[in-house]
Amino acid sequence: MPDPFSLLGLVRRPLIPEEMIGNAYRQKAGTLHPDQPGGDAGAFRELAEAAATLKDPSRRLRALLENPAHSSARIPPEASDLFLKVAWILQYSDRLSLQYTTSYTSLSKALLRAPAQSLLLELNSTLLQLQTWRAALDQELELLDLGWPSHDQVGVLGLADSFAYAVRWAAQLRERELALQEIFS
Amino acid sequence: MIAGIDLGTTNSLIGVFESGFPTLLADSDGNRLTPSIVFYPEREKPLIGREALRYHAISPERTVASIKRQMGRRLGEPGTEGLSGRKGDPAVLHVADRVLTPEEVSSEILKRLKNIAETRLGCEISKAVITVPAYFNDAQRAATRKAGEIAGFIVERIISEPTAAALAYGLDRLQDRSKIAVYDLGGGTFDISILQLDNGVFQVLSTHGDTMLGGDDLDGEIASLIKRRAKVIPASSQEEIRLRETARTTKETLSSKELCTIRLPFLQEDKSLELTITRTEIEAVCAPIISRTRMYCLKALEDAGVLTSELDEVILVGGSTRMPLVRKYVAEIFGKVPDLTQHPDEAVALGAIIQAAILEGTLRNVALLDVTPLSLGIETFGGLMNVIIPRNTSIPTKAGEMFTNAVAGQSCMKINVLQGERELAADNWLLGNFEIPFSPSSKGAARIGVQFSIDADGILQVLARDTHSGEEEILEVTSAVEVSDEAVESMLAGSLEHALDDMDARIFTENRLKAEEMLPAVETALKQLSFELSEAEILQIRDYAAEVTAAMESKETARLKNALSSLDNATQSLATRLIERAMR
Repeated sequence: MPDPFSLLGLVRRPLIPEEMIGNAYRQKAGTLHPDQPGGDAGAFRELAEAAATLKDPSRRLRALLENPAHSSARIPPEASDLFLKVAWILQYSDRLSLQYTTSYTSLSKALLRAPAQSLLLELNSTLLQLQTWRAALDQELELLDLGWPSHDQVGVLGLADSFAYAVRWAAQLRERELALQEIFS
Repeated sequence: MIAGIDLGTTNSLIGVFESGFPTLLADSDGNRLTPSIVFYPEREKPLIGREALRYHAISPERTVASIKRQMGRRLGEPGTEGLSGRKGDPAVLHVADRVLTPEEVSSEILKRLKNIAETRLGCEISKAVITVPAYFNDAQRAATRKAGEIAGFIVERIISEPTAAALAYGLDRLQDRSKIAVYDLGGGTFDISILQLDNGVFQVLSTHGDTMLGGDDLDGEIASLIKRRAKVIPASSQEEIRLRETARTTKETLSSKELCTIRLPFLQEDKSLELTITRTEIEAVCAPIISRTRMYCLKALEDAGVLTSELDEVILVGGSTRMPLVRKYVAEIFGKVPDLTQHPDEAVALGAIIQAAILEGTLRNVALLDVTPLSLGIETFGGLMNVIIPRNTSIPTKAGEMFTNAVAGQSCMKINVLQGERELAADNWLLGNFEIPFSPSSKGAARIGVQFSIDADGILQVLARDTHSGEEEILEVTSAVEVSDEAVESMLAGSLEHALDDMDARIFTENRLKAEEMLPAVETALKQLSFELSEAEILQIRDYAAEVTAAMESKETARLKNALSSLDNATQSLATRLIERAMR
């Protein structure tokens, strides 16, 4: 896999504004896309992958390291409470959505309203907590960027793991939020 | 020269890129829109478009409309209601004495368009770009491609409709850098796509949709409204079709007027129909359908990582966006007045023509970067879906997976390929399966790399490479959706055999399931609302519930159905009260 930073013509740094990545991608993709004269499917795919890597803070941090070790797959200790909450909300909301879609009668659908409503409140407060955590991670990333290229490998890997969880959980919760709202529409 | 084609649920169009502009081609009567309807006479060749439209109400059993909803479908999936055959088999149509695949019917429309273009241009047109709804899956795209081939086209590209509309919108804004949403509500399908335009590069950020949501569904609701208001029950499919056509013209009239008077002389032998319908009335019945688009819009925005405040424009295309109610909903969802500069019926076709010009090389410095709408994955050992290419990945794309033999001497391994967003394999759409061949070796020694590639049409190809020998092989994904002639024959025979499949037993089971859900729900509801209900109300509901239990034990289908509907009616007010309580 070629270096994503050089493919997109960007400087190797922990912090790159998303818009900058998008602009660099579109500029190069406009000529590399296989529909264009002189375009190439393989080169286009590598470019698209590089942009996807750099847009994701976790994958971008790993791409910065010479020798990224495998993820420890351990939940960051500061997020262990959050993890339990997220896991519970995901399970419960999937069960409610399933019950809702498989209900035959309006009475049993109506019975699901109250629990869905309170779960939605719980979900929103968890999303807020998640945002606070994400803000702290963003701050850490900024500090790392200020001191770059000096860094500690283990610290960067830990930050990459934390970002991976923060991004994934937020996406999962927002998806469930929409699913629960469907019960009310 | 490559033609651009919009193969729509209700209407289709064709055009070419001429002297720097996309140009739509009209038939000899000057019509650019060709109704997507095919009439099959007893012996002669089928009639297509306006000529077929005339026969729709006269002989509906020989006329096929809205065929797009059946493209690439298996029986039992939405869109195949009313077709006979075994569940899971590819959809086929029985039109009088003919057995037709949806691809064949679509190809008649495409042939007609080809003919219009060739007559106009005076030369052969053998290549085409054809549009499909963005949310079409692999089978639906492949079926559309096949229809094009049957019609005698080399299909240069299958392109998504909202993306095409974005090209039409952006062609005279090539210097812009903006974020736009395309809201495309057509005759049968709904798509929402979020795009970034950047100096001639059109990048699709995300797409969502529903291939079973469109003007047809609105017509159905309005037809029911007319039936209710006029107290008519159609006695034949001719009457049903006349009512549906009236529903459509009523909807169209009420897009610009507040009132519409409907006159149907001699709808039934001694009965003519005359009544006045208001816009408010049709809006009330259409609102639940249109409001379903909201969720898809929110999901697309979420996937694109774009806030409504960051959008520069929301572009409306598709005939159904002429409805004032749709415009109102869109304004509400996105918090801005939608852009109406694009012709609702023509923008998609113009976009297909622009894409054709990009492929030809006549249009320079314009590039379209599209995405795959659905995640692609394989079924894992535990019945879960393992995503290999996530949704909204730029296409063309590729991803690989390594496989090995589980036991010594194993000769092959069967893999199910899935498309969809659900975690359980069974909840997703089974695209088909393929077999990985292993050369004889000890356990875990075989090494086969399997590459999944999605081409620029959004269609999957699977390639296997033996890492020891370096040999490559294109694996055939056997899709249940492709039909051979023999399969059609056997299906015909099968459908007759199964036609009288224990109907009564099935209806009883359905009602038993409903009852088993209903009874505990009633108990819970009575408990939760005990302070709000009178003794008499509770007793009456208990009586109805007891009758349901008794009817279940008696195993009498009719009795159970009646008991359930009485209980359902008696508990309607409970449901309303529960909802009100939850909202408090």
